[in-house]
Amino acid sequence: MKDYFISMFIDNELDLDEKINFVEGVHKDKGFKDQTVELLEQEKQLQSDVAISAPELPMPFKRRSKPNFLKLWLPSFAGFATACILLTGFFLFRSVPVENNEELHRFVIYQPGVNHAEIIGNFTGWTPVAMEKIGDSGYWSISIDLPEGEHHYSYLLENGQQIADPTVLTRERDDFGGENSIIRITASI
Amino acid sequence: MFKIFYNDHKDRLFGYLLRKSGNYHLAADIMQESFTRYLERYNEREHNPALLFTIGRNLLLDHIRQTRSNISYEDEEHGQAVDQEHIYQVHEEARRVLSALQQMNDEERDILSLLVSSGLSYREIAEITGNSEANIKVKIHRSRIKLKKILKENRR
Repeated sequence: MKDYFISMFIDNELDLDEKINFVEGVHKDKGFKDQTVELLEQEKQLQSDVAISAPELPMPFKRRSKPNFLKLWLPSFAGFATACILLTGFFLFRSVPVENNEELHRFVIYQPGVNHAEIIGNFTGWTPVAMEKIGDSGYWSISIDLPEGEHHYSYLLENGQQIADPTVLTRERDDFGGENSIIRITASI
Repeated sequence: MFKIFYNDHKDRLFGYLLRKSGNYHLAADIMQESFTRYLERYNEREHNPALLFTIGRNLLLDHIRQTRSNISYEDEEHGQAVDQEHIYQVHEEARRVLSALQQMNDEERDILSLLVSSGLSYREIAEITGNSEANIKVKIHRSRIKLKKILKENRR
């Protein structure tokens, strides 16, 4: 008897011949029947879906895509072009401060229960800056020009609660027992 | 519409990531990131749950690879075993199964988590995990038997 028929049965993957085979197996072979029942019981535990539900988080939105011109050049004359640009850049601008490549970055958080939300980060000088409420959606947002590089921030709610950005993976603990999110802004050239 | 797709699939994806990682925070973070990346790749055609799970799986694998060689998310309060802080949010029975899943090897846990959470077919699961269709049914079943054995040992 094909043991894996039990799993295929549980997962509704059997074709008609296999079903015949399976039913006969269950009928003739007590060990096979017992194993089927045990695995079905186990499946009930495994699938106890009431138990596992995702936390309430803001609905993700599409990030602004950045055109990457460098990528288009690369296949043809990448080496030469890059070298020229780098050299020219080096000689022309080495004494001039490089222009700040700022990117408008939108921060969004879903906090329907609060009347006030702020963002605090290195780019605000660690001073709380109020976020705007988006209608009655429960979302709060703010757009900030961020220079290239790494940025650390978190959100402050009205009750003094500090939360990291749930959509950002990288985090650090701060000195006050809270957590900051870390994002990296790269230039779009 | 994306909103419907999101609501239909967030618990499933979260369930998969939680079963696979045993880490509540990490599962939540990767779930959000997966949907964002999915949105970037999906272009107005029919929604594709297999793509969503593939993205989630890859993000989690990347994360595991990074933390194995680097400073880690798991170090402090985010234990590799089922994380304690949020354990109360998970039903007791499911918690037992979650711990048992963490005792399986990576492939077994991956396959079983995907199967139970995603609602995808054997064919799709085979594709995502890089198995042949003939192979996947045997692997799925072996994983179930293995889980049964672990649950039994844990009960003792």
